[in-house]
Amino acid sequence: MSEEDVKGKGGSDSWSSEQVHEVKKGDTLWKIAERYYGDGSLYMKIFEANRNILKDPNLIKVGQKLKIP
Amino acid sequence: MRKIVLLSVLMIAIAGLILTGCSKVKGQAEAALKAAEKVISEAKPEAEKIAPDQIKALEAALSGAKEKFGKGDYKAALSDAQAIPGKVKEMLASLKAKKDELTKTWTDLDQGLPKMMESIKSRVGILSQSKKLPANLTKEKFEEAKSGLDNALKEWETAKESFKGGKLAEAVAKGNTIKEKAVQVLQLLGMPVPAAAKS
Repeated sequence: MSEEDVKGKGGSDSWSSEQVHEVKKGDTLWKIAERYYGDGSLYMKIFEANRNILKDPNLIKVGQKLKIP
Repeated sequence: MRKIVLLSVLMIAIAGLILTGCSKVKGQAEAALKAAEKVISEAKPEAEKIAPDQIKALEAALSGAKEKFGKGDYKAALSDAQAIPGKVKEMLASLKAKKDELTKTWTDLDQGLPKMMESIKSRVGILSQSKKLPANLTKEKFEEAKSGLDNALKEWETAKESFKGGKLAEAVAKGNTIKEKAVQVLQLLGMPVPAAAKS
């Protein structure tokens, strides 16, 4: 996991350890889940944590910042 | 013969003077030790909740003075014992500022630590369901992270008990230890360490 993938939320909430992943070309929720959890089938955990910006687990856009629970 | 008698009388008089002087210093030292003991015992209940190290240092100073008294060094015992009430007064004057500082630190920890531990708990929960761990996390590291989280959660309960019991210094010390452990767990899991936990 590269340093750029591991970003704290920062800002006013200095105690937050929320991990954020910025969607890159070729990313899918499956691949992201595989990267952070080792198991792509857990992709729904990421989808559920980002329901405010995602309507469909198969539709993610480059540049979107996803919370990794 | 007359000279010898005169010398003896003189010697006895000198010895008497020395003994009287010694006995006077002994009495003063005894009184000073009692006074020091009294001020320490009066300050202790509040001080040990906020500045336990300082009250322990003063108790050690009192023990040292008593030891000197026991060895017959009344002058040193007197001087050491007489210095104690002033030091107790200084400590009491600094307690309010110390209490405010500890209260602020505790408030920060109380707001931040549960949030940090909740993030860790959530990640550990998800990773426990994973069929395979991520590339940067070995099984051993994951087990270490899980037990680190369990310990931190248990210790947080004892820290809150200390706070409820008014033991501010103890609560803050425990909170800081938990913070360090939680940071280690976050690093094991490859999660970001919050800015507030880095200090």
